[in-house]
Amino acid sequence: MSYIGSVSTPYESLTFGNSLSLKVEGGFNAVSINPSGRDVVLAGRQGLYIIDLDDPFRPPRWLHHKMPWQVADVQWSPHPAKPHWIVSTSNQKAIIWNLNKPSSNAIEYALHGHSRAITDINFNSQHPDILATCSIDTYVHAWDMRSPHRPFYTTSSWRSSASQVKWNFKDSNILASSHGNDVFIWDLRHGSTPLHKLTGHNSGVNSIDFSRFEENKIMSSSNDGTVKFWDLSKEEKCQQAITTEFPIWRGRYLPFGHGYCVMPMIGGNNSVYLMDLDVYDEEKELENPESRIEKLKPVQTFKGHSDRVIDFLWRSRHSYDSNIDDREFQLITWSLDSDLRLWPVTEDVYAKVNFERNKRLEEKLPSYEYMTYNREVGTETSSENRDTGYKRLKEKFVTNSGLQKGTNVSHIDWLSGVKMNRRDSTDDLFEDSKLQNLGEEVSALGRKFPKVVFEKISVSTGELTLTLNGPWVEDNPDEYIFLRIAVKFPQTYPAKGTAPRFMIEENDKLKRTKEQEILAMLKEIGTKYTDQNQYCLEPCLRFLLGEAVNLDDIGTIDDQPLLNFDIADHIGFEEFSSVSDEENDSHIIESSSSDSGSDLAKDPFGEQSELKDSFGRNTAFDSTPIPNQCGAFWTPTGQLLCFFPAESKLDKITHKNLKLTQKALNHRHRNRKQEPHEIFAESNITETDEKPKRYVDTLSANGTSNADGSDSSEEEVSSSDSFDSFANDWNDIIGNDIVVRTKLPMLYNSVTKKLGSLPAESVAGESTKKVKNIIIQKDFHELIPDDKSLALEYEVMGELPEDMARHNALVAERHGYLEISHCWQILSDLLLGERNNDPYTLIWDNHPMCIQWFVKETLKYFELENNLQMLATLCCVLASPRKTDRKSYDDLEDIPKVVENIITFQDSESPPDSRNIDTVSLFSNSNTIGQGSHEQYRLPKFSKSTEAISIRSGERHSSLHPITSNGRISSSKLTQRNKRLSNNSSQQQQQQYLQRSTSQSRMPSIKIELIGDEILEVAKNPNREILDPSEVGRFKKYVYQYAKLLFQWGLPIERAQILKVSLEALSTDHTSKKFNTSGSGTTERNELNSVAVCWLGNTSGTLIFRSCSYCNLRVKGDAFICGNCQHVLHAKCARQWWTVGDECPSGCGCSCPNLFDVR
Amino acid sequence: MVTITNAHNDVIHDAILDYYGKRLATCSSDKTIKIFEVEGDSHKLVETLIGHEGPVWRVDWAHPKFGTILASCSYDGKVIIWREEGGKWAQIAVHAVHSASVNSIQWAPHEYGVMLLCGSSDGKISVVEFKENGAVAPIVFDAHTIGVNSVCWAPATIQEEAAPAGEGNVTVQKELRRFVSGGADNLVKIWKYDAAAQTYNLEDTLDGHSDWVRDVAWSPSVLLRSYIASVSQDKTCVIWTQDKDNGAWKKTLLQEDKFPDVLWRASWSLSGNILALSGGDNKVTLWKENLEGTWEPAGEVEQ
Repeated sequence: MSYIGSVSTPYESLTFGNSLSLKVEGGFNAVSINPSGRDVVLAGRQGLYIIDLDDPFRPPRWLHHKMPWQVADVQWSPHPAKPHWIVSTSNQKAIIWNLNKPSSNAIEYALHGHSRAITDINFNSQHPDILATCSIDTYVHAWDMRSPHRPFYTTSSWRSSASQVKWNFKDSNILASSHGNDVFIWDLRHGSTPLHKLTGHNSGVNSIDFSRFEENKIMSSSNDGTVKFWDLSKEEKCQQAITTEFPIWRGRYLPFGHGYCVMPMIGGNNSVYLMDLDVYDEEKELENPESRIEKLKPVQTFKGHSDRVIDFLWRSRHSYDSNIDDREFQLITWSLDSDLRLWPVTEDVYAKVNFERNKRLEEKLPSYEYMTYNREVGTETSSENRDTGYKRLKEKFVTNSGLQKGTNVSHIDWLSGVKMNRRDSTDDLFEDSKLQNLGEEVSALGRKFPKVVFEKISVSTGELTLTLNGPWVEDNPDEYIFLRIAVKFPQTYPAKGTAPRFMIEENDKLKRTKEQEILAMLKEIGTKYTDQNQYCLEPCLRFLLGEAVNLDDIGTIDDQPLLNFDIADHIGFEEFSSVSDEENDSHIIESSSSDSGSDLAKDPFGEQSELKDSFGRNTAFDSTPIPNQCGAFWTPTGQLLCFFPAESKLDKITHKNLKLTQKALNHRHRNRKQEPHEIFAESNITETDEKPKRYVDTLSANGTSNADGSDSSEEEVSSSDSFDSFANDWNDIIGNDIVVRTKLPMLYNSVTKKLGSLPAESVAGESTKKVKNIIIQKDFHELIPDDKSLALEYEVMGELPEDMARHNALVAERHGYLEISHCWQILSDLLLGERNNDPYTLIWDNHPMCIQWFVKETLKYFELENNLQMLATLCCVLASPRKTDRKSYDDLEDIPKVVENIITFQDSESPPDSRNIDTVSLFSNSNTIGQGSHEQYRLPKFSKSTEAISIRSGERHSSLHPITSNGRISSSKLTQRNKRLSNNSSQQQQQQYLQRSTSQSRMPSIKIELIGDEILEVAKNPNREILDPSEVGRFKKYVYQYAKLLFQWGLPIERAQILKVSLEALSTDHTSKKFNTSGSGTTERNELNSVAVCWLGNTSGTLIFRSCSYCNLRVKGDAFICGNCQHVLHAKCARQWWTVGDECPSGCGCSCPNLFDVR
Repeated sequence: MVTITNAHNDVIHDAILDYYGKRLATCSSDKTIKIFEVEGDSHKLVETLIGHEGPVWRVDWAHPKFGTILASCSYDGKVIIWREEGGKWAQIAVHAVHSASVNSIQWAPHEYGVMLLCGSSDGKISVVEFKENGAVAPIVFDAHTIGVNSVCWAPATIQEEAAPAGEGNVTVQKELRRFVSGGADNLVKIWKYDAAAQTYNLEDTLDGHSDWVRDVAWSPSVLLRSYIASVSQDKTCVIWTQDKDNGAWKKTLLQEDKFPDVLWRASWSLSGNILALSGGDNKVTLWKENLEGTWEPAGEVEQ
């Protein structure tokens, strides 16, 4: 690709005939072209951009004109006499710009004549000073610039707003305007009466165009999808019509040949269609005077935009001063996807539209000066502006640099939007992913290396000036010095032999020898790369930033991701050799500023082929995830310890802005079909769903990504903190944060405003040390239901559970736990009730609040609430009192729980008594020593079983309601009984009673079924178990966990209390009830046996207390330990035990006395 | 409320209090571990431990009955055990079994002894027991294919199992050692100790994520059921519950929508089952299960 310094004739233009695509962000709505074809003007809410088509890498000139309204139209004056005039709309005003004036003061005239927004403007094709405007207020004005204060001609259609106005090319007195569905033809000499009114469209007319060659031909395109051609000399009927399937936004004649172009408003594949106009056949015309309607048959379609095309224009060039029509054309389109595209027009297209090249012309084509208005005009000292009056105070001492930075488009950004292809390349070349030219390379690198500042970029001349910090001080590899380097690229770069020339600006810190070294190395890198026709700027930059550049693997340099398994196979160990150690020590990273303590584990990722990190591990396979930067941890007392990386205010704002711009970028990236430098971009500008997952990715991304909106880079932003001075920061962030210098200048301005205040404060303030990370402890203990203070005051060991419960209630209330307090209170009441009355009286009084049910529900509730403390304390409190009752039942046998009692009454023939006995004797029961007054006999013992014993069913039975209800009634009689009466005895009572009644009444066989229900159970079993014994395992778990918690809270005494109570209460049940005493049941206590107690502060040793396997109390001294099974017994207990038993009381099966001497 | 700023020069990856809540250990990318003494509102730096060659990912305090012992794991693949004796800290063991970054370590519940569980990016999990006689017995086995990101022990509680064979209702005690691991293969796996084979067998595989599982946490309070929380790069947090010790695990999404950013750490409170989640958006959110069984937010902390 050749770069030419300046272009003076259109034939020297690089871009004519090539396909070019420029990305211009900023919401531009209208486009126009310089008649010479050199510049394109885009108008939008921010003002005008002037783009030089022959140097597309140059950022456009921006004429500021901020307004809230969208620009409806813009036109460059087509007259050679006024090549510097552009007219654009600003709501109801039309503004004439003079490009020869400096950008800040370029407005020459403002035409104010309309009362509503202007929709179209048009320069007169023959008079340079005349232009027409039309507006929604239905008026059409014609203006003369020589006296611009009012229009010299005004007309209106009175009814509908005007959408387009156009002058006739041939007759400068005629103009046409479209209002609603009609087109009116006006004559300046004719006043306000239209010459013609062309009706025929069914929907609004969007575009009208006079033919350039014939005076009477005009075409109109409308929303109804038709294009109609009119002849003004014939009657006011449409001559020809073409239909399309989309509403047409613009339809114009071609400036050459015999054809026209239409552009859809929506749909139509976002393309521009070129059609040719049939040559009129006069005969056919006469035959069929009705308008012929045909379908759209495009000759050529210009397809490629991803969003609708807003406007199109033709760029032409021709040789001046000749009589031959040798014009060449190029189509320029501007689309909503912010793409300005130049399309080459091939020869066959010309042929199709009957464009005869090199035809003899009658009059010469006007010759235009081929210059560009892209260059900023120097500030004029005089600010006279007669027409607009004294407007602005010109400050002569304001430097341009400040203005430039703020008023110009970021160069790097602009560069990245430029894509150019050669003439012979296919249209699809936009999809190519390789770098096409230096401009793209520079823009890609500008993004990749945020800390390198490209001060001057001139792609056309191949000159670059960049500044960076590199570690080029000989004695101290840690020190970074500032270097300014000028690079000159030869024109045929990157062909062979076109290594760029580097020149380092004079720097007193850089020693001569070092400089030579650098230059030599750069040259070597350059030649090596260009010899292979590759772009070499990147490795050169890397080298300058202090990395090792491996020249041997040029062939493999491809835009491949790190996870390249092929390359991984070929890694040799010597590859990462010499560089690693020094690099590691000297904190070399890709970004130039010194980061303290930045990831040393990160290898200088000089080459992508080098995939081993400093630990010799193949990072291609390294799946270490990104480390977390924030976390939280609970303390035992309910505090939450959190740590975060800190963001300073500055970072926060940039972070916020980065997020905003990230959206813009994302949007843009998505719109791009395939970016040539997508590979770079992708790894850097990580979209949210492509964030690096692996740690190693962040290591490289740290250096290469600018601080964009993804969180992984936040690490960099927050950790890259020890800048030398805040000024450096400032520069880095603003200067290098390309993303911040966005295409949305308004956003940027607000950013500068916000950030502008910061440097003042922080520099003025204390140290520049920024907060890097924070560890906070926050109190969330209210979320956790367990409370240490409660634990301290709860009572779990005591005689009477109801006293304990009441005490606990008070404690809870004192601490504000009303719910818990209530619970304890209720429990206490219940327990009280239980104790005072015998079971029989209690049963019915308390049935709705039966304590067992209550306890169950409470436990369930606290389980759901996750209130471990309550659960455990409840268990302990409720478990303990049973001990006292238990004792008396030690010698009792099992009390079956569920009993189905069916009382069957046989025939009355049978002697009732014996039957009684029989039936009665079939009842399972406990061996109670009845004391009831009616008790007369002892019930035989039955073998214990826990299953329900079903009594043989009687032969005949009939349900007897009175009996069953009797059963109930009789049980109320049972309330007088002593607690010790078993259920059976009550039944006996009942039965006796019944018996008597039945014997007296001689009833037939009666069968009374008393299916064991809870009440009877309860009555039967006076030591009703408040806690369901089958759940003991669960309770023990709770107690155990609670004990652990207490220990962690540092309350070992309370813990011991809990354990003691629970062990005794909960485990003795089981051991005595369910298990053979040979002790398989005691294995459950293994866990609790060795209770390790650690005294606070005593870290040198731990005291481990064992509990005696016999009595389960702590063994302090004087113990017997079996050498085999290591089980501990008190000496006293041992003495007791060994007299009786033979095996180890813990149930381990070890026969201790046989192995050891027991005495 | 303690606030420590700039504890380290680089990003902090883990902060953990010891058993009594008196000492705080933090570790960071600057390859050091710092020990602070924390008392009320004040904190004091006690020691900086240097020895790792790469960023240190996690630290964990052992149970005080074994002494003042701290374990740390780092990107360099090593796990270093430090001990304080007489006010001085020294390395007492280095566990270098893994060939890639060790991502997560945790000391076993003290009932099992001095045992350390490590998960590494080489896909393996190792359980190292430091016996009294000084012997080290590591059990190493493959866990997740791409890498193990997090490991967590189940709390040691009394386990009961009803033995089906005769003898009435004999409940047999069995020590049930279990732990959970989360890996880069998007899976959460439960492992159980097999005393006979002296190794850990895969008990369950839970598939509930669509991206790397970053952290798994087993709730220390086991009341009705066991809870495991797993957080992942796919911005979701899944709560797995198991009702009995060998029942099936039920999956519950913490919340229906995805979180705003990837989630990194999950931590259960020691009692009360409150879950603290922290993630890429630098916010810590707290979650509590309500009575209906769904999880609702209970607070958040932002710096």
